Formats: sequence, structure tokens, C-alpha cells
Amino acid sequence: MARQRFILLIAAALVSTGLIAGLAYSLWSLGDHNLAGEPHVIADALVGENTSGFAQATRTRPFSFPTDYGPHNAYQAEWWYFTGNVVTSLGRPFGFELTFFRVALAPGEPVDKSPWRTNQLYLAHFALTDVDGEKFYAYERVSRGALGLAGARSDSLTIWLEDWSVRSSETRHFPVILSAAEGNIAIELSLEQGKPVVLNGYRGLSQKSSGPGNASYYYSLTRMPTRGTVRIDGETFAVVGTSWMDREWSTSALGPDQIGWDWFALQMSDGQEIMFYRLRRQDGSTDPYSAGTLVTPSGAALQLTHDAVQIEVLDYWKSPRDSTRYPARWRIKVPIERLELEVRPILAQQELNLSVRYWEGAVEFAGTHADEPIHGRGYVELTGYDRHKAANNR
Amino acid sequence: MNRILWRASLRHLLTHPWQTGLAVLGIALGVAVVVSINLAEVSAKRAFALSIETVIGKATHQIIGGPSGLDEAIYVQLRVEEGWKSAAPVVEGYVYVPGDPGRTLKLLGVDPFEESPFRTYWQHFGRDSAIDMATLVTEPNTALLSAITAKQLGLKRGDTLKLRVDGEPYAVRIVGLSPSGNSKGKFSLDDVLLTDISTAQTLLGMLGRLSRVDLILPTGQQGSAQLERLRALLPPAPEVIPTGVHTETIQQMTRAFHTNLTALSLLALLVGMFLIYNTMTFLVVQRRELIGNLRALGVTRRQIFKTILVEALSIGLVGTLCGLLFGMLLGEGLLGLVTQTINDLYFAVTVRQLAVPPLALALAVLLGLGVTALAAFVPANEAAIVPPRVAMSRSLFETKAHHWVRRSALSGVLVIAFATATLLLPSNSLGLGLIGLFALVLGATLITPAATVALVRLCQPAVSRVFGLIGRLAARSVLASLSRTTVAVAALMVAVSAVLSIGIMIGSFRLSVAEWLDSVVRADLYVSLPHPVASPPEGTLAPALVERIGAAPGVVDWSTVRRTRIDSERGITEIVAYKLSPHSHSGFRFKEGDPSAIWPAFEDQEAVLISEPYAYRHGLGVNALVRLRTDHGERDFRVAGVYYDYGSDQGVIAMSRRTYERNWTDRGVSGIGIYLDPDTAPKEIEEVLHRIAGPHQEVQIVSNRAIREASLEVFDRTFAITEVLRLLAAVVAFIGVFSALTALELERAREFGMLRAIGLTPRQLWGLIMSQTGLMGVAAGLLALPVGVALAVTLIYVINQRSFGWTMDAYISSGSLAQAMLLAVTAAVLAGIYPAFKMTRARPADMLREE
Repeated sequence: MARQRFILLIAAALVSTGLIAGLAYSLWSLGDHNLAGEPHVIADALVGENTSGFAQATRTRPFSFPTDYGPHNAYQAEWWYFTGNVVTSLGRPFGFELTFFRVALAPGEPVDKSPWRTNQLYLAHFALTDVDGEKFYAYERVSRGALGLAGARSDSLTIWLEDWSVRSSETRHFPVILSAAEGNIAIELSLEQGKPVVLNGYRGLSQKSSGPGNASYYYSLTRMPTRGTVRIDGETFAVVGTSWMDREWSTSALGPDQIGWDWFALQMSDGQEIMFYRLRRQDGSTDPYSAGTLVTPSGAALQLTHDAVQIEVLDYWKSPRDSTRYPARWRIKVPIERLELEVRPILAQQELNLSVRYWEGAVEFAGTHADEPIHGRGYVELTGYDRHKAANNR
Repeated sequence: MNRILWRASLRHLLTHPWQTGLAVLGIALGVAVVVSINLAEVSAKRAFALSIETVIGKATHQIIGGPSGLDEAIYVQLRVEEGWKSAAPVVEGYVYVPGDPGRTLKLLGVDPFEESPFRTYWQHFGRDSAIDMATLVTEPNTALLSAITAKQLGLKRGDTLKLRVDGEPYAVRIVGLSPSGNSKGKFSLDDVLLTDISTAQTLLGMLGRLSRVDLILPTGQQGSAQLERLRALLPPAPEVIPTGVHTETIQQMTRAFHTNLTALSLLALLVGMFLIYNTMTFLVVQRRELIGNLRALGVTRRQIFKTILVEALSIGLVGTLCGLLFGMLLGEGLLGLVTQTINDLYFAVTVRQLAVPPLALALAVLLGLGVTALAAFVPANEAAIVPPRVAMSRSLFETKAHHWVRRSALSGVLVIAFATATLLLPSNSLGLGLIGLFALVLGATLITPAATVALVRLCQPAVSRVFGLIGRLAARSVLASLSRTTVAVAALMVAVSAVLSIGIMIGSFRLSVAEWLDSVVRADLYVSLPHPVASPPEGTLAPALVERIGAAPGVVDWSTVRRTRIDSERGITEIVAYKLSPHSHSGFRFKEGDPSAIWPAFEDQEAVLISEPYAYRHGLGVNALVRLRTDHGERDFRVAGVYYDYGSDQGVIAMSRRTYERNWTDRGVSGIGIYLDPDTAPKEIEEVLHRIAGPHQEVQIVSNRAIREASLEVFDRTFAITEVLRLLAAVVAFIGVFSALTALELERAREFGMLRAIGLTPRQLWGLIMSQTGLMGVAAGLLALPVGVALAVTLIYVINQRSFGWTMDAYISSGSLAQAMLLAVTAAVLAGIYPAFKMTRARPADMLREE
């Protein structure tokens, strides 16, 4: 899906400067407009030059677990995306994001005597939304996938970057324990599998743009019962809630006029979930490769094409940093399902200002499904809204 | 009124271009020497600090291991299990780029993904090198260079650089270039080969090891808490040290060297000061009539004083400014010599260009003007007390000079007494030693007038017997114008004694080193890696090679040496581990300790030997304990003996190979000494050994004679800068004497005219002037001998000892004394040629008409 580009942006940016600060410096330093477009150039160069040695998602494949929980190093990019809404017994809500990215800097496995040598680079983002405290925290980590500093296992859903990790127990694949701490925040959450694996796209093959191979393998766990603790400023909260996991890997480039995307992952009170990504083009229109999945209470998946879903932006939010404008309230309609929702962030400021700048936040919604009132929570991701970058792309 | 005064003074200076010019030259040279030495030193220090800063970056602390580095598992544990942030692994070492001349680069292996908080230079690798960052990490043997270093090596991006690491050949591909230093000059990657940590581990043979882990800890209580936690986490062997310690220790190493150079350069300025004094005295004396008239016209003493002082300061300013310019030029030349010495003795540093900090220049201006003001004070005062109208007669002035001679001698004796007391004070202070040294010079200078008078009087009968009337005249005239002659003699004496003493010091030093080399270099052949790096740990010979060489035919015995360095919070300690052949025991000469007891303790009881400088620096003796950080934690080692060693001025700790291996995991060998069967020819064995070493590792096999020669060559190279300074002091002295004598003789044009008028032939006049200057040269030379020897003794037993901790025997050859004498007389006689030439050519009538 569209995050393909996102990860390449991160990877390319990181690689281009070798480090986060340098990247932040070159990407976000105000007034330095010339540099803003650099990662795109690099991303294209990186992809253009290096895709040859990588495997590509050209046809459907059988998914097999636990192997497919693990890394697919033959592909250039891959991620493990955990988001979720949890709440204390007193009803205090929190949203969290813990995401691991794997980027292959070169195809194949290098042969070297030094164990530090690797082609695999891991990145991770950890964010926490505290609605009552009106605070949003976001952190980033990078490490090479060597020496046990970062990596993922093939025999279970286990991935780590330094001391941020997702680990399953020795004997069972679920629950998995999400564990991360940075600054004043920490999470320690146990996630059950919940519903069975949902294959997005056509049997898990998710086409991004025209051309063979411009696709990814993409599956999700859409309703993972979650319990554990959230810690903020030394105060620990026992929480329960629901999480969502996206797993995706691919080697491909997006079309040059796809400038960003809006991704929705919503868990409804009637036991259904909807995932939809809207790829935005230069002219503001919706790319026909936008798509989604509707998951029934029993776990059956219904594919949603770009024209099956109507999204209307009702409101905007301006980043206090530089007035970059993000959509902040939506009306989403799926006419064939007789589904109509109004979605809004549980906190306006959920912008991650990391090596790549994007908005990813917990949302809540209410609406009707076949005339029955429903509500729920979920996560929304908004990319490509950065003013500098948008200007530069044009 | 003032304007008239200034114009009078300007006119006077302009009508005496020789005196003025020579005074300017004297000050210029003095200032130039000080400036050049200072700039060369500052540049070397800066380059070093900058390269250190670039490499250390923002790290506040480092986790360091022993000679073989740190287990990389410690880093992984910190990161993954403890979630430790702001930690960056570093693998570093030195690689050699063959060529003519070859070049040593620092190989810095880092993890680019952890670098951002630490080192900022990554930003400067440019946007087009993005792909190559990935290449750097993923592809073996890839590296980054600074653009300047690449250019110097004739490399472009994408080229291959051939290297030798511990003598073994490698090739790395250059995948990116950084600008050398950003606009603010805040970093320098010159002479750094930057690679991914995996490449560094492979190239340096450090698989599984790290050189260090850089950390950024917060300041204050939070920082100490983290440090506390970190120390608890780590096994006993690694140590956490603040990053400053390392830099500071290295900077401290060169402090004595820098102090000595500065002192030497000040000596040159001192001679320049004599020059100013001399010139100003002349200029005042010449104008005493004018000054008397001016006073009569109502010019105040203050105004006269001011005029003379300003006159002197103008000369001083011109001289100083010329000195600055010349000093910068000279500095460029000396830079090579200074850095060479630093490279040979202390650490590897490349200085791309002479740094010219404004502060250094400002200080030099202050110094030049200050010295001028100081030197001009007496003559200015002299001028100010000239009574109105009554032109002070020359004879009166000289009579006063005679009184002054006595007073000066008295204070000279007092100053020498003070100097002696200062030098004999039981202290280790280099500063006190230098004060004593300079006091000695000052005292000797103050005594010089009296001594000159005594010497000339002593010589008078002999001179008049040999040269007759002319000789008597010459001697008399020296005594008659003491106010000028003695200053010239003093200047010459100071210069010659400085030249003599430095010569004696270097000669004694060299002899001690040569003797030491003779006793310590005992094996027939030595195997080591070529192109050693200045700072240990030295390169490592392949372990297999060591065994094979031991088993080679014709080899009866062999010893090995491992030179390495142990860093700790207390600083850097150089360690030498010997596996000694019994043949080598007698090579050690002990300053302290019973040799019969030393060796068993050394071999079997883990006792260590410390070199003389180490003992001196740390105030340790036999049976003292030295604490070292072993690979199993801190440990005390007993000192069994103190031995003579001129290899390192920081001092070394020597231990047996067995002791070393028991306490450290490093198994490397830096060099092998081979004892041959007396019946075999070393040349043949050398070839056999080269075959054994094979093509893989390039080793250097040299005879004991060659090693001695090479060592002495290094010695001579390190003293090259001292020799140059000695030469410069001599040049300044010569100019000083030339100026003083020229002025002196020219001023007596009237007198000479009179002599010519009453029948002296030009030939006789020539003889008169030459014997006059020659007599002064002899006086200066004779005085310079005892003073030079005294200074040499001070340099050897006080300054050198306190600076470097070495003791050596003073070796004074009659040759060096004769040389000093010759220098004094030659300088004086040469200085007399021009005035003699001029005086004998001029018509007596013109000479009489003057003024």
C-alpha cells in the first residue's frame, strides 16, 4: 500500500544523511527549501538502482504462519505496524503506535567476517496519545539488523529494535508482548490474536500503481484484544482495549504523482472493521489504486475498491509548527454497505515530527450501519501534507 | 614644541640609517623567532585538538577496554537489555598508505546509524553520496575520505586506495568525500579514513572487539547517577572515563616540549633586547648636546623622556611588525620541524596550514614593544637627566659608566646567587628552573662590563707587547667607551654561551642515547613492522610468523616485545611486555634496584620495571606499587627496579611477557629480537627470514647497527628544531654585535680622523679597529665559556630533567669550547670589517668635519 513510499522516504532520508539529526536538519530546517525534495530524489534513486536484486510482489502467494510473521529479507521494505486504543478502568483513554520498519539497503546477504555487516536496517516509531493529559509523545529509533541489536524472528511474531520489542512466548504465538519505553513514557501490552488473519487486496497481493511488481503483500490482524500497562511520568495505568496489526512487505515504486495518502483503520462496535487507504494525487483527486477491506464479525473480508468509499473532509487542523494543514474530521460513506461514519481525532495534535513528518493518531467515530447506530475507535494516518514537500513536488 | 621634537628625533633616526636599520632588524629577528615558534606550536596543537574534537564529537564519556579493546557484546547488552541511549561504538586504528612518502591515516570505524548525536561531520558528505552511505554499510572495504586528503593521495570518488595494515596489503574503495572542515572550521577529517564499523573490524583484525564506546551523559546529578548505574552494569575490566582525560593527557605530554621551545625563542628575543638598548643608548649619547639645548629652551624632562621612549617604541614597532611578517614565513618553515618532533615523540598529527590566531600576534606585538620599552628605559632616563645647556661631556658620561660597571657587577653577583639558589632548590618545577636559567643569563650579563674591564686590563700588557701602540690604543679605547663596548660584549657573550650550552646539551644527550642504544640493542637482527605509528599500540606481527622465526635455522635465541598503551581515568600508560632472552638482561642498566634480585622478581613474581622518566614523573622508586587496569580489573604491581630508557619521555612500565599474558588478553607481538649462531652470516639469515615472512605481511628485518643508526636519526630529527633555534640565536647575536660595533666605530669617526691626521696610516687604522673588535670578541668568548658551561649544566641537570625526566652525563668537549671561542672572535672581527673599510676609505678632513 501507500506506506511503501513512506518507508522509502524514511529509509532514503536516513541513508542519505546517515543519521536522524542530519536528516531532520536537511528535511525540516526552515528556509532550506532546496533540501526538502531531496529524499524523493534519493528514494527514486534507491529504488531505481536497487530493485533489480530484490524479489517483487508480482503474483499471489500462499501465506504460512509463523514464517510470514517473520521478516522477508528478499524484499526491499517491510513493516510491522501496531496501533491501538486502550482505556483505564476509570475510562481514561490512550492511543498508542509501535511500528517496526525493515529496509534492505542492498539485495542479498553480505558475506563478511564482521558480524556488524548487514544489508538490513531497522527503524521504529513509538507514539502515545494521552487525551486527558492533552499530550502526544513520539519517538524514533534506528539500528542495523545485526548482532542482535535489531531483528525479527521467523518462528514467531518477534521483532525488536534495541529494547523496543514485540515478543511472543516460547510455546505460543499469542499473546505477543509489546514493550517500549522512551523519555517519560512506556508501554507494556499483551495482545491476543483476536480475529484470524485478514488478507488485503487480492488474496494478500495489494496493487499500488500500474505495472507488475508495483504491489505488496499485505495482511492484518484487525481486532486484537489488548491489556497491560501504560506509564506516563512515573505513573502507571492498567489498561484494556483493542489493537490492530498491519504486516506488509514489497519492492516497488509508486507513481510520481501520488503525493500522499490517508489511511483509516476503524473498529466498529458491531464487531466489524474497515480499513481503507486513499491515495492522493497531485491534483487532489483520489488515485484509482486506492482500496480497502471490510471485515465481518466472523473474520470474512470484503474488498473495497476506490469508488466504493466516499470520504468527505469536514474540518482541518493546522500544525503549530508551521501551519501545515491536515484534515481533522471526516464523513466516510460506504454506500453498498449502507455505512456512514463521522470520524474525529481524540486529540488534535498527533503529528509525529520525526525523520519523516506525518500525522498518525487515535480517532473515535459514530454513525450508522444498515440504519443501526454504531460507534467505535481506530487509527488514521495522514502523509504528504508537509507544506515544503508539497510545494517542492509541484 | 612637540612637533619640533618629533621632527628632530625623526631626522636623527634618518641620518643614522645603519643604526636604526640594525636595531629594527634585531627586534624583527627576535620577534620573528618567538612568533614563528609560537605559531608553529599553536598550529600543531590546533590541528591536533581539531582532529580529536572531530573524532570525539559530543561524547562526554567513553567506555574503554584494555590493549585488545572491548568485547562488542558489552555494547549490545547496553543497547538491547539496558535500553541505553546515546552510545556509539567505535573501532579505530592506524593504516599505512604506501607511497613516497608513505602516509599514515587514522582508520575510524563507526556505526553511521548511531552517529548523529555524536559527530556532526556526516552532514558534510553531500547529497549525492546518499547511495554510497548504503554502500558504506553493506559493502566490505568501502570508506570515506576528506576531499583534501583524497586530493593529496590523488584519489577521486570511486577510486581504490591501497593500504597496509600491520604490513598486510588491503584495498578499499572510496565511496564518498567530505569537505575538509566546514566554513567554521569546526571539524577536520583530514588523515581520517572513515568506514563502517564492520569494515574497520575486518581491516584491523578486531573481530568481536571495539576500541571504545562513546557516551553522552547529562551533566550534574543525573549524569553521576547514570555513570553509577553504568559502572555497576559493566564487568570489572572496562572503564568509563570522561573524554577530556584522553585529550588532556596527550596535550600534557607535549607541554614540556613546548615550554622548552618557547624558552629558547625568548632567548633570541633577549638578544634582540640588547640591540635596542644598545641603539637607544647610542642615539641618546650622540644627541646629548642637542638635548641640553632643548632643555635650555624649556623642554621638560618629561618631554625628553617621552620623546626618546616614543622614538624607541617606533623603532620597536617597525621591528615588531617586520618580525611578525618574517615570523609567519619562518613559522611555515618551522612547522614541519615542530610537527616532525611531535610525530616522532608523541602522537601523529598532520598540520595542513599555519594557524595565525590574532591573539598570538597581539601578544607578540606586546612582547616586542614591551621589550623595547624596557630596553629604552635606561637611555631615555639618561637623556632626561641631561642638565639644561650644559652639554654633558662624553668623558663625564663614561666616568659614570665606570661607576655603573661596579654597581652592575655587584647586582650581577646577587642575581647569580639568586639563580643558583633557585636552581638548587629541591623542586620539580620547570618554571622555577627556567627562572633560574634566565636569572643566570641576566647575572652573567650584569657582570660582563666588570669582567670585560678586568679581562682587557689583563690583556693590555700582552696586547701592547704584540701589537705595540696600536694594540695599546685598541685596549684603551675599549675601556674608554665602556657604555657601548660592554653592551656589545654582553650581547655577544649571551649569544655565544646560549649556542655553546645548547650544543653541549644536545651532544651530551646524544651521547647518552647512543650509549644506551649500544647496551640495549643486543640482538643481531630485529624484526618489526615497517612504518610504525608514533603512538602505541604498535602494529602486530602475525602470530604464526613469530613462531616460524623462532624455529628458523641459525636462530639460537629470540626475544619479543609488545608495546601498547593502557588508558584509564588517570591517563595513558605506556606498557612494554618483554619475553627476554637471557642475553638481553644485561642490556638493561638500572638506576635503582639490585639486578640480581630484579630479574627473578620480573620473570616470576609479576614485578614490573619502570623507566627513569616514569619514576621521575610519578615519584616512584623500588618496591613502590603501580596501579594498572588489567583485563580483569585494577591491580597493583610492585616495582622491582628503575631502568634507564630514552625511548619515551612519558616513561614506560616494563613487564615480562608472562605477567602481561596473565593480566591481559592481548597476545600480539610488536617486534622480535633475534640472536644468531655466531657462525652464520646475518645477511643470509635475513634473506631466510624474509622468505619465512612471505609475501603476505610486509616486515622489516634490520641489523642491530641499522637500528642504532635509525634511532639516532630519529634523535637528530627531534632535535632539528632545537638546532635551528640555536642557529637563529647565533644569527640574532651576530647582527647585534655587528650593529653595536658598527655604531661604535662609526661614532668615533672624529677620533679616527684625528688619529689619521696625526699620522696613522690607513693600514694602522684598519689594525686598530680590527684589534679593538677582536679584543671584544675575545673578551666575549672567554666570558661565554664559563657561562655557557654553567647554562649547559643547568639545561642538562635541571631543565631537561624536569621537562623529560631523563638524566644524562654532561659531556663537554674541548672542541665545542674552541668552537664557541672561534664563533665569538669571528663574529666580532667580521663586525669590524665594515667600519674599518669605511674609516680607512674616508678622507681624514671629512671625518673631522663631521658634526
